[in-house]
Amino acid sequence: MWTYEKRLQFPVKITKTCPKTAQMIISQYGGPDGELSASMRYLSQRYTMPVKQVGGLLTDIGTEELAHMEIICAMVYQLTKHLTIEEAKEAGFDAYYVDHTTALWPQAASALPFTSIEFQSKGDAITDLTEDLAAEQKARTVYDNLLRMIPDAEVREPLKFLRAREIVHFQRFGEALEKTKEKLDSKNFYYFNPEFDKGMMKTEL
Amino acid sequence: MQETHLAIASIPIQQWGALYDEKEALCTGTIFQELNKPFFAAEIEKKSLNKAKPKSEEQRKREEMLSKIMEVSFVLDDLTLYLDTHCQDSQAMDLYQKKSQERKDLKQQFAAAFYPLTRDCIMDCKKDKAFCWQEGPMPWEGACV
Repeated sequence: MWTYEKRLQFPVKITKTCPKTAQMIISQYGGPDGELSASMRYLSQRYTMPVKQVGGLLTDIGTEELAHMEIICAMVYQLTKHLTIEEAKEAGFDAYYVDHTTALWPQAASALPFTSIEFQSKGDAITDLTEDLAAEQKARTVYDNLLRMIPDAEVREPLKFLRAREIVHFQRFGEALEKTKEKLDSKNFYYFNPEFDKGMMKTEL
Repeated sequence: MQETHLAIASIPIQQWGALYDEKEALCTGTIFQELNKPFFAAEIEKKSLNKAKPKSEEQRKREEMLSKIMEVSFVLDDLTLYLDTHCQDSQAMDLYQKKSQERKDLKQQFAAAFYPLTRDCIMDCKKDKAFCWQEGPMPWEGACV
């Protein structure tokens, strides 16, 4: 169950139309390292996590990623809300306009549609948490790249916030991996799959 | 003490440390000073988020209160993730308790004065008998804060 809260996690107030910026930022909506992908990854992985608190962490981070998706969508929306056809053509936003007008649709900056092929839910806690660590770093790099290219302060502030969250999440997934390792044999973490061979895990310490 | 091993990633467990105040935490993206790792190309400007546009008294009050809710809620967001991996930390728990109460009160006051942010605040709306869940601007319109 989820409940909706009628506010953004971080305020977005963009006053200048810029389809070019919208086209770049939309990658964090539906792109390979975007917020939707992040959310679906964590919310898919959590069911079979052998350590309960790790499943809880995946739920909380997966939920926060939905709030981040909303921030990104609000940015794209505000950047194109008053779009004219001339601006769309000039910025190369015309192809998107033909398919979606100014509606939100999850795609990458390269126009690749959102797909679950870009993330994994592998059914092995070590594998999944290592993927999650990498996912946070990949998203951070996207925000770094966006911050290099976008000069508008109204756009940069939310991007900086979102980038900072990737680093915090990385730390938490690292701690989750440590918690999982505690339940395994430190002589060989790979002796069995903690998500499938649950009976072989150490019981409560 | 944490041991490291070959052929697997190791991340040191964070220890409770210095926190940012609420306003700065939201601007920074974390309440934990130790976890603030800015990108050099992002450090050019430090601008205020709200552009000075003429606002009605009601809008000014609403924005002030909603900003406060966002700040307090963000402390709770970041604390929740910390507590997920540090469930025994009593300092974090004390702060969580304090901020939870603050958030609850603020949400109620906001619903009474303006509109409900969550469904469980619908009944705190005192304006009239009509269903008020659809009141207030949508968050993506940029009109709230």
